[in-house]
Amino acid sequence: MRKFFDVIIVGAGPAGSIAALKLAKAGLQVALLERGTFPGSKNMFGGLLHNSHILKEIFPDFYRQAPLERYVHKKTLAVMTPESSVNITLETGNFNRIPHNGYTVMRPIFDNWLAEQAVKEGASLICNCTAENLIKQDKKITGVSVKGRDGDLRANLVIAADGVLSLMAEKAGLRREIPLEHMGLGVKLLLGLPEEIINERFGLVRDEGADYAFLGMTGDLQGGGFLYTNIDSLSIGLVVHLGSLKASGKTPHEILNRALQQPQIKKLVKGGVPLEYSAHLVPEGGIKGIPTLFTDGMMVIGDAAGLCYTNGINLEGINLAMTSGSTAADCAIEAVKAKDFSASMLSMYRKKLEVSFVIKDMKTFGNAVKMMHMDRLFRVYPGLACDILEKIYRVDGMPRDKMLKLIRKEATKKVNLKDLLADGIRIKRGLL
Amino acid sequence: MINIENLSQITHFYCDQQSHIILDKEICRSCSHHACVSACPAKCYTLDAETGRLDVVYENCLECGTCNVICDKKAVNWSYPRGGFGVSYRLT
Repeated sequence: MRKFFDVIIVGAGPAGSIAALKLAKAGLQVALLERGTFPGSKNMFGGLLHNSHILKEIFPDFYRQAPLERYVHKKTLAVMTPESSVNITLETGNFNRIPHNGYTVMRPIFDNWLAEQAVKEGASLICNCTAENLIKQDKKITGVSVKGRDGDLRANLVIAADGVLSLMAEKAGLRREIPLEHMGLGVKLLLGLPEEIINERFGLVRDEGADYAFLGMTGDLQGGGFLYTNIDSLSIGLVVHLGSLKASGKTPHEILNRALQQPQIKKLVKGGVPLEYSAHLVPEGGIKGIPTLFTDGMMVIGDAAGLCYTNGINLEGINLAMTSGSTAADCAIEAVKAKDFSASMLSMYRKKLEVSFVIKDMKTFGNAVKMMHMDRLFRVYPGLACDILEKIYRVDGMPRDKMLKLIRKEATKKVNLKDLLADGIRIKRGLL
Repeated sequence: MINIENLSQITHFYCDQQSHIILDKEICRSCSHHACVSACPAKCYTLDAETGRLDVVYENCLECGTCNVICDKKAVNWSYPRGGFGVSYRLT
């Protein structure tokens, strides 16, 4: 086997495979390392592949080529308590047209397909290959060593696409150990359910799909839940903030099992047969969680670069990852042309990301991280929303208050005015 | 419902002979919170209430790294399994 490459990419997830594909297409010798038996076998996410201009650029016929489950037709935000829920649903024909706004996918299937496309362009995919350490020469990174194997793999450039824990970024000294506060833990249960039942239950036809985000599904913990419809299965799970999980002493699978007993959710997943259970960490540090993105001979992309954010409504990572992979590939091509792999050359990677939506969106919602650590957002406000709507709808022979007075009355029953204002300011800074 | 005790019946693993999680059990013995026990999504960690001994079953590890991040005593020496071993998702 060849031992020297132009570029070694550690990790055949969406970021790594996009980078490999573009580099191979440009005629470079690329090694794409995957620690699993096949790409995607170690990968897990909630379930939604966002619309990505990168995919559209590379695969003009993406919708017909890629192994997709359903496109998202309906989006619901549900705030809930153990008994009640308030749902806001957007259902629009505009989501039925190509380019669709997003697709549910199975990562072991989708990631494998994407890596195959890189191989078709000439990338060398090496599976069963866990990168263990970086090889350095005069402070420049020149390759990786592989766990349990003799002989190093060498390259002019290493791209770390090794996921949220990125041991490569850590070994390169680009970031310190990840603090608890910058992490969420996602757990997910895949439930098999016949296609006709899913269509009927969620009000879908053909390959339309539904996407639910749940607030208040994690009990007292900071976090949220999700449900996505696949062709004949449901992806249901939750993400909890790791600091909050540690403080609570609760177990993730029990939190999930309790959430499955919430009456609305119980009806949605009824009859589902467990097919697979998975877990993964999620970068939640926002813009402040992004490590140094390059050094001599190396760039960091995707989750490894902390490129992932949520503002409570949008939850994006995979599209940011693929854009970063594409951007890093563009920079690598220029670096190879110039035969310059120094940090100063690679600094253009950060600059290009800065002007793309990736860093811009993460900056725009930089303050959302603080908002998402507000305990009352998870413990109090979902119940408050349910109470207010219940009061508005309830008919009990008592004279009614006008809406604002009713809202104020209900709100101050649960939260004092000072906290309410403080939270309002945090929400304004994070979201508005 | 997920019955975590039967995890390996729905999630597939290629078990290695050697563990990718090494604990410093002396440090674990003196730990006051054992957060790893509750936080691990695969329930890999168990604490024997009588002996105070902490044990880990690496065979069911989902490789999320939660234990490594959550341990504030540096008692978990955690790395990815050798290539080809460990959890292997089929769908998810």
